[in-house]
Amino acid sequence: MAAFASVRFFEKWETRPLASARTMNEPANILSFDDVTVEPGADYEAGIAGVNLQLAPGDLVLVLLDAELDSIPLADAAEGLVAPAQGTLRFLGEDWQTMAADRMARQRGRIGRVFEGDHWPSDLDVDQDITLAQRHHTRRALKDIEEEAARLCRVFGLPGLPGGRPSSLSRHDLQRAACARAFLGAPVLILLENPTPSISADVIPALVKTIHEVRQRGAAVLWTTNDPQVWNHPDLRPTLRRRMAGSHMQVMGEPEGAA
Amino acid sequence: MRVIGGLGQMVWSQWDDARHAAAVIGTALYLSLRPRHWARTVRNMFAREVLAIGVEPLAIVCGLAVLVGVMVVAELAFWTGEAGQSQLLGPLLVAIVARELGPALMNIVVIVRNGSVMATELGIMKIGGRIHVLEAQGIDPFTYLVMPRVLAATVSTFCLTVVFILVAFASGFLFGAMIGKESPDGLLFLSTVSNAVHPTDVLNVVAKSVLPALFASATCCIAGLGVGGSVIEVPPATQWALVRSIAGVFVISAAVSLLTYL
Repeated sequence: MAAFASVRFFEKWETRPLASARTMNEPANILSFDDVTVEPGADYEAGIAGVNLQLAPGDLVLVLLDAELDSIPLADAAEGLVAPAQGTLRFLGEDWQTMAADRMARQRGRIGRVFEGDHWPSDLDVDQDITLAQRHHTRRALKDIEEEAARLCRVFGLPGLPGGRPSSLSRHDLQRAACARAFLGAPVLILLENPTPSISADVIPALVKTIHEVRQRGAAVLWTTNDPQVWNHPDLRPTLRRRMAGSHMQVMGEPEGAA
Repeated sequence: MRVIGGLGQMVWSQWDDARHAAAVIGTALYLSLRPRHWARTVRNMFAREVLAIGVEPLAIVCGLAVLVGVMVVAELAFWTGEAGQSQLLGPLLVAIVARELGPALMNIVVIVRNGSVMATELGIMKIGGRIHVLEAQGIDPFTYLVMPRVLAATVSTFCLTVVFILVAFASGFLFGAMIGKESPDGLLFLSTVSNAVHPTDVLNVVAKSVLPALFASATCCIAGLGVGGSVIEVPPATQWALVRSIAGVFVISAAVSLLTYL
């Protein structure tokens, strides 16, 4: 009976999404850039130099990019995908550089991201791709994941969880699906890499509303954009505004307070 | 001198490639022994690959096996009849179909049919930035893409080899009986065949079907994930993978034969 009870306990425990499993001793900052320099390399148009940035729970940091600069390694650095030439990158207090590979993978499973451009693994249908990270990192029931994904898709203007190949959806609908994918599974950090050029203007209010909701539950959001409509959006109320001038980050305003 | 230098360079290059493939195979096998690497997405990928590599080509494999069974029996019936050694039909069928043709043909079928798909698919995913997206989602591309493909190709090739051998034997027996070169007694045929099979033959079939499949699938994955930044790199990478994989089938088969029977 005791064995049965312990099995039930672990089953119950395992069905909890890892992405929302916050521990008691988690640090104050979700993400910290401490004097971080990343070389541009072959994959980016520019690097980042001497960036200092802290995202606490509930923060929204809005970063304005140069209009002619599309790819900088800010989001990749936030996920520990690129090694800094200088400085320290911490996610929930842990330095990405000293994390074991398995730990890194699990921690990345707690981050939602809308990628620059549209990236859809060619071997998966759209619904499978949206739910992929949750299916990989958690033991939540598939039905539960799909219901949450369908709800998010409806929030972003899709009729439900879209099936079929990515080529069967328009670029705008794929970007709506990308937004749903980023917010699925209650991530603690959301990285929005200039998502607005690909989505229609009617999605922005839904995106802003969803960001307010996730900030209220304690997630942090880092949004890079070169869209003036986003930068000047009256309802966004970012905690911090930053501007990228080449590879340097400039302070644009004092903290305005969390939403 | 320059020729010798070039030859030496080629040998070193082949040796490096073989070591790379061995490292991929070793890592895939090692990771597969640890249950935590079998997330449901990885299990789904493995099942999908087994369906694609081991189940979908069953009709082709059975058709090929029937033709090979008929062809080998027709050839053997003539030569054993000429030599007055008709009782050798069963043992020769085992030697030719089970030991040599079955594993080699099935490996070639899998390489041509699925190895090319593996290399192309992974190459396009790499160039399209999808590998980067997987990494960003905390999904290890090796565990999610390479390990299931290598294991599925290996398991599927072995199973297809067994199916091929059984169907070829059955068709060979039926054809032999039909043309009067084989007793129509099925039990007698089974007994002849089973007496001709030795433990080394079983080991030989397993090694010749599994080892080239491991090598070929690892080579195709390496080729696909090794492409740079342009789509035009995918066809040469696929071509390289197929040529290397097919060469590997014959080199490994020859090595296994030498080790098993000499």
